[in-house]
Amino acid sequence: MRPQAPPLIGFEGVSLSLGGRLILDDIRLSIARQEFLCVVGSSGCGKTTLLRLAAGLLRPDTGQVTYAGNAVTGPAREVAVVFQDYGRALLPWRSAAGNVSLALEAAGVPRAQRGPRIAALLERVGLAHAADRYPAQLSGGMQQRLQIARCLAQEPSVLLMDEPFGALDAMTRQSLQDEILRLVEASGNTVLFVTHDLEEAIYLGDRVVAMRPNPGRIAEVFDIPLPRPRHQLATREDPEFLRLRRALFDFIQEEER
Amino acid sequence: MKQGGELPWWIASIGVALGIVLLWQVAADRGWVSPIFLPGPDRALAALREGFAAGGDLTLHVTTTIEHMLYGWVLASVIGIALGALIGSSRRTRDYLGPTLEFIRPLPASAIAPVAIAFLGLSQPMVLAVIAFGSVWPTLLATAHGVASVEPRLIEVARALRLSRLQVMFKIALPNAVPDILAALRYGLTVALILAVVGEMLAGQEGLGHRIILAARSFRSPDLFAGVILLGLIGFTSNALLAVAERRLLRWQGR
Amino acid sequence: MRFPRGLVVPLLALAAAEAAMRLSGLESDSIAPPSAIARAFATALADGTLLQATGETLGAAAAGLGLGGGAGLLLAIALGLSPALARLMRVPVDAFRPIPSVALIPIALLAWGFGFPMEIAIVSFACFWPMLIIGQAAIAGIEPRLLEVARVLRLSLPARIGKIVLPAALPRLFVAFRLATAVSLIVAVTVEITTNPLGLGYGLMQAQQALEPDRMFAFLLWLGLVGWGLNALLLVAQRRLFGRAGWVAEEVR
Repeated sequence: MRPQAPPLIGFEGVSLSLGGRLILDDIRLSIARQEFLCVVGSSGCGKTTLLRLAAGLLRPDTGQVTYAGNAVTGPAREVAVVFQDYGRALLPWRSAAGNVSLALEAAGVPRAQRGPRIAALLERVGLAHAADRYPAQLSGGMQQRLQIARCLAQEPSVLLMDEPFGALDAMTRQSLQDEILRLVEASGNTVLFVTHDLEEAIYLGDRVVAMRPNPGRIAEVFDIPLPRPRHQLATREDPEFLRLRRALFDFIQEEER
Repeated sequence: MKQGGELPWWIASIGVALGIVLLWQVAADRGWVSPIFLPGPDRALAALREGFAAGGDLTLHVTTTIEHMLYGWVLASVIGIALGALIGSSRRTRDYLGPTLEFIRPLPASAIAPVAIAFLGLSQPMVLAVIAFGSVWPTLLATAHGVASVEPRLIEVARALRLSRLQVMFKIALPNAVPDILAALRYGLTVALILAVVGEMLAGQEGLGHRIILAARSFRSPDLFAGVILLGLIGFTSNALLAVAERRLLRWQGR
Repeated sequence: MRFPRGLVVPLLALAAAEAAMRLSGLESDSIAPPSAIARAFATALADGTLLQATGETLGAAAAGLGLGGGAGLLLAIALGLSPALARLMRVPVDAFRPIPSVALIPIALLAWGFGFPMEIAIVSFACFWPMLIIGQAAIAGIEPRLLEVARVLRLSLPARIGKIVLPAALPRLFVAFRLATAVSLIVAVTVEITTNPLGLGYGLMQAQQALEPDRMFAFLLWLGLVGWGLNALLLVAQRRLFGRAGWVAEEVR
């Protein structure tokens, strides 16, 4: 079960309005160190805004977001963001290696050390063979792998992932799900994972937070006591998985009525 | 495109070009057009040979014109990229300077020549000032546009990575503007050549612009055509070189 | 809120120039205070020289635009519709296009002497190219399905061009026309400044040589206004006529 450590990320009564509309209302949530937390909800429920608050890309109107006990005032290097639209989040004029290098340059890593680290990072996401290719020459799945490699280059303790696999085909999506679990397992990262895919949330998460729109708020939190490591077939056939899927599905259905 | 299928077309197209030259020769030989202002290609080529032979002055004039063009262009490009980056990166500068720039931009660059003459006289600096003024606009506006139009997601990536303002400029905004800048640099070089000729005509100093005006005044049409051919060659070569550089630098857009 | 901000810089510059000239009491052959420029502008407007010069420049520019742009458009249609012809003309086009239009000034001078014909000839040469290059791309870029429709309907060549090709390519052709218009004004003024004793360019040059900076700057500002107004007019027309299509055409260019 989850370790009972003090929370790494905390939302303490967070509210936020954008353009005069209340997007998030009084969010209270804590994410434990090394936890894999998934957030689901219909579009417009503020789940992406929640992630952007955690990233420090937005600041709350009231309440505060904390990281390791301190208020978040802006982006931090220990917190990496994987955006959904990988095509726009990569520098098209840099090769795969160059894109990973950007994060190292940002961290002030000396030139001489970058080469081997870039090679190792590309190796970890299975892109060693594509180091010299430009984003336009990579498939969608490879581009998203590249973005993940850039995030890992930050050596983050937290990965914030905003529907990272939403635009990928089913096969690619499954292999990337397993890959991210493997990477997170190896590095001991804390993950906040936003998705609209209920099965994906259950498959990946330790907990699944279901949100409601207008204004966005937390409706229910589901514990996912499925054993790890997870397996695309075995886990998805687990009676507990099916029960959770049913519960979440019913919840969302009721929501939409 | 099929490479094999293209070659015969290129050969045929060169044939058409040669045909036009031949027609020109016939027109000149038969006296269809007065030889005073249309010498045959044979006479123009002879004038070229003579001009480049020992004792000829063409080498001097060609290098002078190329120097004018390049100096003015480099000056304009440096200023254009620097100012453009400044304007493109700040909404406020754009608000204050945008309308003024929009007003100056359509002004014919040569119209600044009288002002430049008033300040700098009929001199080399005057020629360079006119060239620089004229060819700064494409680069300035393209840089401003390219820097201002960075994909918002990339700005967020930069924030998430905590890049400094300077790093954002050099690692993201300026590279993002490179395609625009390269196209503008190419256009700016064309403008620079035109204004070099204009400046030389006005300043009455060395350079092909001055030489062809002199040739016209003394009715030496072969010399005049030799100069025009050389100007065409300079334009063609400089444009082609920059086009190659552009393709090299923009490989990442590929496929 | 944007408009006033844009005015700040020019107004400040004018005020600073005026103050500097007044305070220093400088008498210069190359620069004049804005108030003197305004007076010179009023004089030139009143005695008709400014308007006459404007008429001459715009007349020559329009004639050149019509001749050169028209010829460019005709060739653009031919090359746009026939890929074979386009390939054949590739080398001649690439060979003639890089010749700077101003290099033809002495040739035109030999052929016609001073006056409108030589200026119109050079403006024509300059306007020919943007019309040809952009026009050809516009026509070659027409949705092929439209041309197939024309063929299925067995339209004659003139009908095909008039009913299908030109309307389909019109937004981008207008962009070419707008650029050619800007070129026509630029080249006309350039010819006048370098050689031809006509129009606004000559007026500018004359004022400089007579050491009348107030008149020179008055002509310069007026020229800027004319160029800006022409461009603004065509932009508005483009937006009115083609709306979004006009912008798309602009981006594709």
